[in-house]
Amino acid sequence: MRSIRKKIDGSWGALAVAASILSMGCSSEVKAPIGENRDVEPQRGGVLRTASFTNLRSLDAAVAFDTLAAAIESLIYDRLVAYGPRSTKIVPQLAETLDISDDGLRYTFTLRRGVLFHDGNELRAADVKRSIERAFHPKTPCPVASYYSDIVGHQEYRDGQAPELRGVRVEGDYVVVVELSKPSAPFIHLMTLPIVAPVCASAGKTYDREFSKKACGTGPFKLEKFEHGQIVRVVRHDGYWQKGRPYLDAVEWSLSMQSFAQRLKFEDGDLDFMRDFNATDSLLYRSSAKWKGYGEWESPMTTAGVFMNTEMPPFDNRHVRRAVSHALDRQQVVMVRKGHAVPHYKMVPEAITPSVDDYPSQKTDVSLALEEMRLAGHAFDPKTGKGGIDTEIRYMALLDSFGQQAAEVFQQHLARIGVRIKIDLVSWPTFLAKVTRRKTVAMGTAGWHADYPEPSTFFEPILTSRAIADEASQNYAFFSNSEFDDAIERAIRTTDSSERTRLYRRAEEIVAEEAPWAVTHAYRYFELWHPYVHGYRPHPVLSQHLPDAWIDREGARLARSARRGNCWQVAPGAGRCRQAPHRPRTTLALVVGDR
Amino acid sequence: MLARLAKRLAWAVFTVWAVVTLTFVIYNVLPEDPAQVIAGPQARPADVDRIRMQLGLDRPLLSRYGSYMTRLVRFGPPSGEKDDSSFQLVGPVRIDLGVSYLKGRPVHELLGKALPPTLLLGALAIFVQVGVGAIGGLIAANRRHTVFDWGTVALTLVGISAPTFLTGLALQHFLARQTRWFPIDGYGDTFSEHLHSGILPAMTIGLFGAAYYTRLVRDEMIVLLKQDYIRTARAKGQNELQVLFRHALRNALMPLVTVIGLNMGILVGGAIVTEQIFRWPGIGRLSVHAIQEHDGPVIMGVVILFSTVVVLSNLLVDLSYAALDPRARQ
Repeated sequence: MRSIRKKIDGSWGALAVAASILSMGCSSEVKAPIGENRDVEPQRGGVLRTASFTNLRSLDAAVAFDTLAAAIESLIYDRLVAYGPRSTKIVPQLAETLDISDDGLRYTFTLRRGVLFHDGNELRAADVKRSIERAFHPKTPCPVASYYSDIVGHQEYRDGQAPELRGVRVEGDYVVVVELSKPSAPFIHLMTLPIVAPVCASAGKTYDREFSKKACGTGPFKLEKFEHGQIVRVVRHDGYWQKGRPYLDAVEWSLSMQSFAQRLKFEDGDLDFMRDFNATDSLLYRSSAKWKGYGEWESPMTTAGVFMNTEMPPFDNRHVRRAVSHALDRQQVVMVRKGHAVPHYKMVPEAITPSVDDYPSQKTDVSLALEEMRLAGHAFDPKTGKGGIDTEIRYMALLDSFGQQAAEVFQQHLARIGVRIKIDLVSWPTFLAKVTRRKTVAMGTAGWHADYPEPSTFFEPILTSRAIADEASQNYAFFSNSEFDDAIERAIRTTDSSERTRLYRRAEEIVAEEAPWAVTHAYRYFELWHPYVHGYRPHPVLSQHLPDAWIDREGARLARSARRGNCWQVAPGAGRCRQAPHRPRTTLALVVGDR
Repeated sequence: MLARLAKRLAWAVFTVWAVVTLTFVIYNVLPEDPAQVIAGPQARPADVDRIRMQLGLDRPLLSRYGSYMTRLVRFGPPSGEKDDSSFQLVGPVRIDLGVSYLKGRPVHELLGKALPPTLLLGALAIFVQVGVGAIGGLIAANRRHTVFDWGTVALTLVGISAPTFLTGLALQHFLARQTRWFPIDGYGDTFSEHLHSGILPAMTIGLFGAAYYTRLVRDEMIVLLKQDYIRTARAKGQNELQVLFRHALRNALMPLVTVIGLNMGILVGGAIVTEQIFRWPGIGRLSVHAIQEHDGPVIMGVVILFSTVVVLSNLLVDLSYAALDPRARQ
């Protein structure tokens, strides 16, 4: 009997421990930020730690072109021109001056003197030409080389028919001239991309896969460590041309970290800055009074919705496309991820072209949608449910994405006008392969992220005829409209800005009328940082743009202390710690001790 | 014995070849386009076409298969070229698994870096599985029809039913975040940090196996403890520990060894999820990224490595039978 009781006691003791442990995880409250925002002068030193859900493929400026790579590259590689602080205006960076000829064909960059690469060599005009030629070399797998096809001699050089890129000329040690075959409104924006950033001589004249591990440029930070799927660490470039900058000693990115782990680490002060929230956590932080003032939305430079393949029935009929566009309720779909998704009615985001003066856009109106269905020959009676399109339409969306959830909402919206869709959920590689293949996918999730803040980035690559191909078509809707093509081409080529504005407006009108896409929303990220992080606000163009950030080191020290469990929160006035509340470790010890 | 070994080895080589060929075909007939994944959604058709050409993906399937297989195993010194991605296996035999489409690194280098963490995690997980399984099963069998026995059976049911992603997140929350006993994720820089960081992922994988092994050992022991030779051992005056460990457990481990060998594949499967949760830089995580990004050379490399490991571990199980059971030697 004694032994049985002992066994029972032991079992219940173990159960009590388990129950106690489980109870610890039941709180949905977010912890308060660590430290407070003290009124102190910008200071040098400190390491800013952040994380990303995604992996990083490469840090070679010539080939890396995703959002995370761009954020890190903006620290490693300065460009000839860049966007101003918290502005979409382009300002000289490595170039001291920039002269653009009246015909818009000749760009003359005069370099700053004394700019040093991370390897200590001074930047010269020849380095700029070498770097651009390296990016467009026939052997370089540059994903966006054709963006630069307006540079004189680009195609011959890319095809290996010319030994050098004729359109990039060196005139002395500090002057580089870039010549275009045609004027191009977005070209100056293209010069802000890391693709054409000057890279160290160690990068060589052609693509070398080893360079990614020893990325070297003229930026405020130099690469110290890059381990795939683990970490990227950049440290201050002491020879940076901008005196006194950067403030931080280093910036660290933990890669491929689940958002759950990111939240735990952020709350404990192991991360100073966070962006990859899941929907619940995002809502909790945004609604928490404790975090007010320490978070901000990124400017949404995206547009998203539904593409309709204009070469496939029933979307070869513009009335059906218009009906779909009118049927989708933008206000409702954004509720799926409130805050992160914002209703959107036109191709170009508000941040680039604000909707003023009755700007053309698509609109939600079910009665108009039903009328368009009638005009299309598919009249539908919502009361009886009779009519509509007989066949079920396959809709392609990405598995486990916002696009999937949006598709489920759209399914309901479209049922109201007699359009039945079946959602096919696929992986990212399958999605890319299928939607870009001619006459393969009738409709599906559409989305586009701006490469630069200029309307053409939303029209030219995704809706013009020249973006159509049998395979790898960027124009998912296979939309071909000569007036649209002409408007975009003229807008890109004109040097008259008011004419360009008019043409882009006309292009937007055509999209509203023809509805190759039903634009429904724009997606944006919420960013949050601890109070001891200063000098950071989301940039209107660049994601996670950290060069100007600095850390209140005393605040950070207290945060580290908090992480160890010695200090919970910095008291007002700083320098003092509030005592940590009882840690679960204590609870566990008590339970075990009670046994 | 040698003839039998040679025959088994020949079958092993054939099995690996068959798996590699099948994987190559499946990977290449899928509608996905690696060039497009590399280029990204913002790339224009011309840029995607160029990348496709650079990777040789514009050639017919048979031609690509031929190039892959002839390059995979070759004899002779290294080519000396800058982009030679082969490594010396043994003597003049060189293996070339190609270069990752997305990371731009030789596949053998990526596997070489990912293998030690996976082996460490596997070893720790087996330690948890076998240690907990054998001891739990032994005690449950010995204390049959007691609270401990019932508790063990109930816990093993929970252990077997709980998916690894849930166990992983729970362990992360309770044992890393709340108690701060272990790091939330990562691998660390030193061996002691690797061990420390590896405990939670090992527990995540190990708890499932431990539950299974506990049941296995318990059931086996219940049968064995009723055998005549156990009664004889007790009659000879041996103490209970000697009876349990020297006579009963040794025989109960026979099926355990078989299951461990056969479960190597499951262990790898478990590690794919666990390594992802814990940011453990092993083969599982490498595989997830490769599959998500359709990185063919890495997928093929992982398949070759693991089909070889699974085939060899099964071979070793067969051989260990002979060592453990004298009847199998005949």
